[in-house]
Amino acid sequence: MLAIEASGLRKVYRGKAAVEHLSLEVAQGEVFGFLGPNGAGKTTTVKMLLGLARPTSGIARILGKPLGDLETKAKIGFLPELFRFHDWMTGKEFLRFHGRLYGMDRGDLERRIPQVLELVGLLGRENERIRGYSKGMQQRIGLAQAILNRPRLVFLDEPTSALDPIGRREVREIIRQLKEQGTTVFLNSHLLSEIELTCDRVAIVNKGQVVRSGTLGELLNARLEVEIRLDALSSELLTQLSAIGRLVRTVGPTVYLEVPAEETLPKIAEVVVRSGARLYALRPERVSLEDLFVQLVEGGAG
Amino acid sequence: MSKVLLMAKLTWQEAWSRRLVLAILLLTVGFLGFYLLGVHFLDERLRSRAAELGRSDDLEGFLIARATVVTLGMYIVNFLGNLLAVLVSLSTISGEIDSGTLQSILPKPIRRYQVVLGKWLGFAVLVALFVTLISSGLLVGVQTLTGYLPPSPLEAVALMNLGAQLLLAVTILGGTLLSTLTNGVVLFTLYGLSFAGGIVGSIGQLFRVPLLETLNAVSIGILPSDAIWRGASYYLQPAELLNAFSEAGARGNPFVSTAPPDPIVLLWTGVYLLLALLLGVWVFNRRDL
Repeated sequence: MLAIEASGLRKVYRGKAAVEHLSLEVAQGEVFGFLGPNGAGKTTTVKMLLGLARPTSGIARILGKPLGDLETKAKIGFLPELFRFHDWMTGKEFLRFHGRLYGMDRGDLERRIPQVLELVGLLGRENERIRGYSKGMQQRIGLAQAILNRPRLVFLDEPTSALDPIGRREVREIIRQLKEQGTTVFLNSHLLSEIELTCDRVAIVNKGQVVRSGTLGELLNARLEVEIRLDALSSELLTQLSAIGRLVRTVGPTVYLEVPAEETLPKIAEVVVRSGARLYALRPERVSLEDLFVQLVEGGAG
Repeated sequence: MSKVLLMAKLTWQEAWSRRLVLAILLLTVGFLGFYLLGVHFLDERLRSRAAELGRSDDLEGFLIARATVVTLGMYIVNFLGNLLAVLVSLSTISGEIDSGTLQSILPKPIRRYQVVLGKWLGFAVLVALFVTLISSGLLVGVQTLTGYLPPSPLEAVALMNLGAQLLLAVTILGGTLLSTLTNGVVLFTLYGLSFAGGIVGSIGQLFRVPLLETLNAVSIGILPSDAIWRGASYYLQPAELLNAFSEAGARGNPFVSTAPPDPIVLLWTGVYLLLALLLGVWVFNRRDL
């Protein structure tokens, strides 16, 4: 059973498609990064999966059940992007209310509340009103309500937008712990470094569609760019190199070549040496997630 | 059901925490104190005049004066009840959609109808407490000071409650459809229309212009608030006052009615209230957040 399964999801607002035929599969237990530029349809997709917005067409299942199933809803958690809560409550009242909404029984809830407070670093502040919390603390209490019910699937929409670098590190740690406990995490973010650090698999969305998805390794290793610095570049050598990989560009006697795998590196050295040219540098460079992201979004690749 | 109660409890907690309950209690005490002080002075004057003239104080004129004071006082109470019903619930759905607080509630195991009905229930209890407390406070206060109690106080208080509950249900429906500001404007306009319809209708009765009475019927169809108050006012007036008004040809009174409430209007109010709630649930069910 998959944690999330969506096929052909489409959402049209006033004649304009926010999400266009989006299909997605998220396995249980993985940390899934959902990234895309602003307005790509990330939040709309999450809203549809959570029942906040109705899909115009398409189907989706959460934990094997159709959208809106109450039993399934008790097993998911959600931290909204615009985390605004009933700020007249104290942190503890807020968690109690949301625990009751999940249908947790009183005894379990009273045991669980201190645990999540400690996890998000708010222990000792639970009797203050949320109104008096800083933005970062409000995001933390929001994270606390999202994991209060020990969810099997948790949606985090930009969970670190209000946090400082230390807070971000703490959230990464929480995500790691959730993964250890077997929780599936659906992380919506445009902080690429964060996605790179936490996610097992990612999908890149643009204009309401998934334009690329896979494990980070698959996405990033698929493209390896090599800088080959030579003393001189003959056209004969250039032809030979072009046969090994895709020629990106040349700058004087330096060649940038995109190759399929690391295994091609010794071969490049061999070809260069055999041609009589002198090799000053042979430097493989991984394509960063950022490069891939920019290329996919700006290039509009499908 | 437990989720409906949970949402109702949230409404009460919020009212308490935002000091709404405290403000309502203080204002009720303030209003009653102010009005009853006026009643006390008036009655003292009436008694001393009667003593000067060497008459007893159970004259018909006394009764009419006291009944008028109570009826007008209840008119203000009714207005305050209606105002409170609209104001407390004005931003309840629309405001929470705008602020985003519903985004962390609705993905949890709760149905949308439970959210609407829970909030409605929470406010309905608050409004009922307020209307009952302030109207019975006025009635009991006047009775203590002057010994006068209207002929059918229970019917009057019940109808005033119905009027406030009607506006509450309509406000909640508005909150699912409109922004908070628009909802407020629409409601006050409808309320004004209802009031104007009552005046037009009574003028139509006075001058026997059927067209004006038809206009009133239309306004009752749009919102029967004023007609319910007029029904309640009938139960507040003793026969002497009703006769005095009819004799003076005062059927065209903009504030009170000399006829009992029309059962059709009562039925329509009940249907209206129910439809508003059901429609509110239906609209909210279909809304994208």
